[in-house]
Amino acid sequence: MKPPRETVQTDVLIIGSGAGGAVTAAALARAGRTVMVLEEGPWVDPDALEPFSLEEMVAKYRHGGSCAALGRPAIAYAEGRCVGGSTEINSGLYHRLPPELAEEWQRDYRIDEFTTDALDGYAGRIEAELGVSRLPGAPPASSAVLERGAAKLGWRSVEFSRVFRYESNGLAVKQTMARTLLPAATEAGAQVVADCRVAKLVRDGRRVVGAACEQTMPDGSTRELFVRADHVFVCAGATQTPALLQRSGIRRNIGRGLKMHPTVKIAARFNSPIDHGDVPMHRVTEFAPGLTIGGSASRRGHVALALADSDADYADALAHWEHVAVYYAAIRSEGSGRVLALPGARSPLVTYNLTEGDMSRLARALVHLGEVLLAAGATELYPSVTGGGVARGPDDLVQWWDALTRNAANLMTVHLTSTVRIGENRERTGADSFGRVWGYDNLRVNDASLLPEAPGVNPQGPIMAVVARNTDQFLTEA
Amino acid sequence: MLWFERQVVSTLMSPTLDAGTRSAVESYVATTLHSMPEHLRAGVAAESIVLGSRSWLEHRVGRFDPHALPARLDRWRSSKIDPIRQYVRLLHSLVLFAENEFAAGAGGSM
Repeated sequence: MKPPRETVQTDVLIIGSGAGGAVTAAALARAGRTVMVLEEGPWVDPDALEPFSLEEMVAKYRHGGSCAALGRPAIAYAEGRCVGGSTEINSGLYHRLPPELAEEWQRDYRIDEFTTDALDGYAGRIEAELGVSRLPGAPPASSAVLERGAAKLGWRSVEFSRVFRYESNGLAVKQTMARTLLPAATEAGAQVVADCRVAKLVRDGRRVVGAACEQTMPDGSTRELFVRADHVFVCAGATQTPALLQRSGIRRNIGRGLKMHPTVKIAARFNSPIDHGDVPMHRVTEFAPGLTIGGSASRRGHVALALADSDADYADALAHWEHVAVYYAAIRSEGSGRVLALPGARSPLVTYNLTEGDMSRLARALVHLGEVLLAAGATELYPSVTGGGVARGPDDLVQWWDALTRNAANLMTVHLTSTVRIGENRERTGADSFGRVWGYDNLRVNDASLLPEAPGVNPQGPIMAVVARNTDQFLTEA
Repeated sequence: MLWFERQVVSTLMSPTLDAGTRSAVESYVATTLHSMPEHLRAGVAAESIVLGSRSWLEHRVGRFDPHALPARLDRWRSSKIDPIRQYVRLLHSLVLFAENEFAAGAGGSM
């Protein structure tokens, strides 16, 4: 028999502790508000596990990393499920929102006070607090590959900043939310509760009065918890935020319009060993923001997976896995998807439809990625296309134009956005210009769901800037 | 993990793995399948039941030959039916990732 439900009270309830929830929590707690943060996943010491390892996937990734958006083809995706959310598992690459996108979104979705100047102001504050920086010294070989290949082709490439601090001994420390803004929020009085899943929000007319939760205790038992709150921020990410709202009976323009950066990969073999401990920080930006080329995590397990995706004979390459690294090309997609909470299920159904134009762009992306890797000295390229064929020279890349079909493409993504878009255009948005859900006075969304489109860059920076802006607005209103 | 899934995982594993690593790989695959979204897990389980029915019946009458499974998996790997191809690809990916991660020196130098 389950113990009776306990009720607790807070001024502001924040659901989710990633880039959205942590920024919101720190700002509100520092402003003197009583804040409670509920995180579905566990607390995991940020120093305890090797980045991108199997152990990290089991401990920190939602579904152990086995998520997929259904469609033709299905697209595998990864997101965090732990205190700190996806900031604990991403590569830490940091970008501001490109000014042209801020203008486009402001115009198309009629977002009030959404200017590059305003967003850059918030971005600057976040960068100063977290420590956004470039690598001190020369890039690792895996990153220099992209710089070298682009230079040979006359293409633009840049080393992007990362949310990293460098210690005096040279050690790079990613500034995840579990290391930075969540401790800051706690220090300012916020309470962060891990292992606590919100089943649904409880509504009363135009107000949300609280959240019905299930908390998993250290001994594995569970207890029901009801958190009564004056204000609720849902910051659970682009799949879980709309799913929670739908489970709570809030459905208008919620969960539609999912956006992502569909990604193809190549396992590239070189004549000499290449580093595998870090994610390359260089990006080829010649075709950005429509197409970006970069490097992925390349532990031995990732190398094996990427080699196998081609369906070619990869035994020799795997035997020399130290010479192989994984690179990707990601596109801005004109397709879109949907998140749908299923009755009785804990996980939502996620779907995504690529357009024919997207398939063309992915083929072009794969060929450009091949070109840059061959120019950098790669000797064998294994594409993430079943039956795509191994490329050993530029002439071999031609076959990939036709090989990348819906049946053969093995795609993935790590950036999901746009399931509760903001703006005053009520036909296209789920929340107003500052994230307040239409029809509710005290319910706000403050995470990746709000971005009207996928930004074509790693979205953590844009998410944090928009979230900080919305939180400031909240403080002026409530 | 269902009986047939266990057979497939065992078949997909490298024969050179020691017993401890085989057990760790199988445990990882079981954990990952268990933590998949319900609708995806249901789809995989349904495929396991359909694709594994013949093997299970053979097993029930004591005539299951695990050595016949690799050829069957090879056929499914190149099947024209997308879900069948994806079924093998999913289990192979999990096995491949785990056995390479469990291998010594999975990570790399900074």
